[in-house]
Amino acid sequence: MNHRQQKVPVFKKWYHWYMLVIGMLILLIVLFYLFTKHFE
Amino acid sequence: MSRFGSVDWIVLVLTLLLIISYGIYKSTTEKNLKGYFQGDRSMPWYVILLSIMGTQASAVTFLSGPGQAYTDGMRFLQYYFGLPIAMVILCITFVPVFHRLKIITAYEFLERRFDLRTRTFTSFLFQLSRGLSTGISIAAPSIILSSLLGWDITWTNMMMGGLLIIYTVSGGAKAVAHTQKAQMVIIFLGMFVAGWYVVHLLPESVGISEALHVSGKLGKLNVFTNGVTENGFDWKDRYNIWSGVIGGCFLALSYFGTDQSQVGRYLTSETTAESRIGLLMNGLVKVPMQFLILLIGALVFTFYQFNKPPVFFNEVEITKVENSRYKDSLVFLQNKFDEVSVRREAIVKEFANAVASGTDENAATESLVKVNAESEKIRQDVKRIIASDEVRGDNNDTNYIFLRFVVDYLPTGLVGLLIAVIILAAWGSIAAALNSLASCTIIDFHKRYAKNTLTPEREYRLSKLYTLFWGVFCVVIAQFAYNIGNSLIEAVNVLGSLFYGVMLGIFLVAFYLRKVGSKAVFYSAVIVETYIILSAIWPWLLKKMPALNEALPAAFNGFMNTAGSIGFLWLNLIGAVGVVVLAWLFSLFGKKESGKLEFKKIT
Repeated sequence: MNHRQQKVPVFKKWYHWYMLVIGMLILLIVLFYLFTKHFE
Repeated sequence: MSRFGSVDWIVLVLTLLLIISYGIYKSTTEKNLKGYFQGDRSMPWYVILLSIMGTQASAVTFLSGPGQAYTDGMRFLQYYFGLPIAMVILCITFVPVFHRLKIITAYEFLERRFDLRTRTFTSFLFQLSRGLSTGISIAAPSIILSSLLGWDITWTNMMMGGLLIIYTVSGGAKAVAHTQKAQMVIIFLGMFVAGWYVVHLLPESVGISEALHVSGKLGKLNVFTNGVTENGFDWKDRYNIWSGVIGGCFLALSYFGTDQSQVGRYLTSETTAESRIGLLMNGLVKVPMQFLILLIGALVFTFYQFNKPPVFFNEVEITKVENSRYKDSLVFLQNKFDEVSVRREAIVKEFANAVASGTDENAATESLVKVNAESEKIRQDVKRIIASDEVRGDNNDTNYIFLRFVVDYLPTGLVGLLIAVIILAAWGSIAAALNSLASCTIIDFHKRYAKNTLTPEREYRLSKLYTLFWGVFCVVIAQFAYNIGNSLIEAVNVLGSLFYGVMLGIFLVAFYLRKVGSKAVFYSAVIVETYIILSAIWPWLLKKMPALNEALPAAFNGFMNTAGSIGFLWLNLIGAVGVVVLAWLFSLFGKKESGKLEFKKIT
C-alpha cells in the first residue's frame, strides 16, 4: 500500500497532526513561561 | 535511614527476572532478517512510541535529570523543545522514504541515493561511535550504583549490560520493543511513586503549592529562560529557549533520523502511518515527561530545605577527603554546613507559613535566599577541596543527588524498585543499541560484502551471533571505561558529537541537495570527519609533539584548535554544515555527477 493512500488516523490529513504537535509545543512553552513567572 | 536491604533485593531481582522472562516469551519471530531486526514489521504505534522513548531514556536520564534540576533548576527542559519540531520534519521527509524502500538500516538508503562506499562509511561511523558509547553508557550508571550501594563494579556492569543480552539475542527487535514497553510502564510507575513520596515526606503543613513556591523563589523552577543578560545574549549559556528550539531540533533530527538505534525502532511497523503516529506522539509526550522528571528534582531540592542535606552527595569522594590532609578542613566545613542547615529549616518554615497564610513573604524570601547562598558557598569550598591536587576527586555530584535521596529516605522495597527503574532504563537503550549494531554489521557489512549468498536461516543465526558479539564488546568496554570515572557521562556526549554532525550532514545532502552526487558527499564527509577528530585531539597532539606547534603556521594551529576549544555540542553543527557546504561546493566546481534515478522515483 502506498504511504499516501494509507488512512490518516483521527484527522483528515497529516498536516493536521503536524499542526497539533507544533501547536502543543507552543502551548507548553507559553504555560512554562507563565509557570516560571508565577513561582519566581 | 534505609539502605539496600533484603526486601529491596527481592523487588529488584523479581523485576529484572520479570523483564527477562517477558523478553524471552515475546521472542518468537520469523527466522530471517526482517523477523529478527524488524519484529516482522508487526508493531503497533503505541509499542513504537514506548520503544522510541525507552531507547532515548537511558539510566543517566533518571539519574542526572532530577540532579540537574536540584543544582541548576529546571531550565534543562528547554533542551527538549526542538524535539517535537524534529519529529514533524522526520515524518515529512525521512519516514516515507525509509518505508517505501523497505530498508532495515538507515544506511541502505545511502547506497540507493549515493553509492556503496558512502553507505559503508556512514554505517562504520555509526558502529564505531555507538559501540563505544554503549560501553560507556553501561559503565556510567554502574559506577554511580556501585559507589552508592557498595556493589562490586564487575558484577554491577554485568547486571547493567550483561543480563539484557539474553533476551536481546534470543528475540531481536521484537523482544527489545516489547520489553521496552514493559520497562517504560515500570519506569513511569517508579517515578510517579518517587514523586508522590517526595511530597509526602515534606512537613505536614507544607503542600505542593508551598513546596513549589520555595523551589521557585530559589530559582529552581526556571523552565523558561531567554539567555539574555545585562550584556546582551549569552552565547555560552547552554540551556535557553533559543538553544533549546534551534540546537535541540538539530540534535533530535540527527539522533532520530540517522542513528540506527532509533531508526530501527520506528521501522518495526508495517505502515508509514504507524511509524509517524509513534514519532508524533513522542513529540507530544516527551516534553511533559521530562518536565515531570525535572520537577521531582526541584521537589527533592525543597525537601532538603526542610531536612539537612549531605554537604556533598557522593560519599566516595568525601571518604577520599577524610583520608587526606584536608580532613580537618572538611570537619570544619561540615559543622558550619550543619549549622546553616538548621537555621535554614527554621527560615523555610517561616516562608512556607507566610505563603500558606497569604501574608507578606518578602522578609522570609530574603532570609531564605541569603541562607541558601551561605550553604552553597560551603558546598563550593568542599568541591574545591575534592578537586584539589591532593584529593584529585570528581567534584560534580549532580548524578548522585536523586539516588542518594532514594537510598537515604525512601522505604525498603521502594528503594529496590527505584534501582530497578535505573537498571531497566539502561537496558532499554542498551538493548536497542545492540540490536541496531548487529543489524548494521550483518546488513551493511557481512551480507553486502559476502561472496556467497546467505540463506535466511544462516543470516538469522549470524544476526544472533553479532548481537552477542556487540553485547560482550560493550561490557568489556565498560570494564575498561571504569578508570575514566564520573566524567563518563560527558564522554558519551563528546563521543557522539564527534560523529553525529557528519552523519546528519550526509543525510541532509541526500534529502535536500538532490543534484549533489556520491563523490562530492563522500569526500566532504571524510574531510570534515578527519578535521573534527583531529581538532578534538589537537591539544593532546601538541602536548605529545611540541615540535608541531613551531613547525606549523599559527593560523593553521588556530584553525585546528577551533573545534577543540568550543563546547562539544557545536561539533554537531560544524560537522553537518561542513559536509553540506563542502559537498555543495564540490558539486559546483567539480565534475558533474548524475544523481541516482531511483531516488527520484521514491520521493
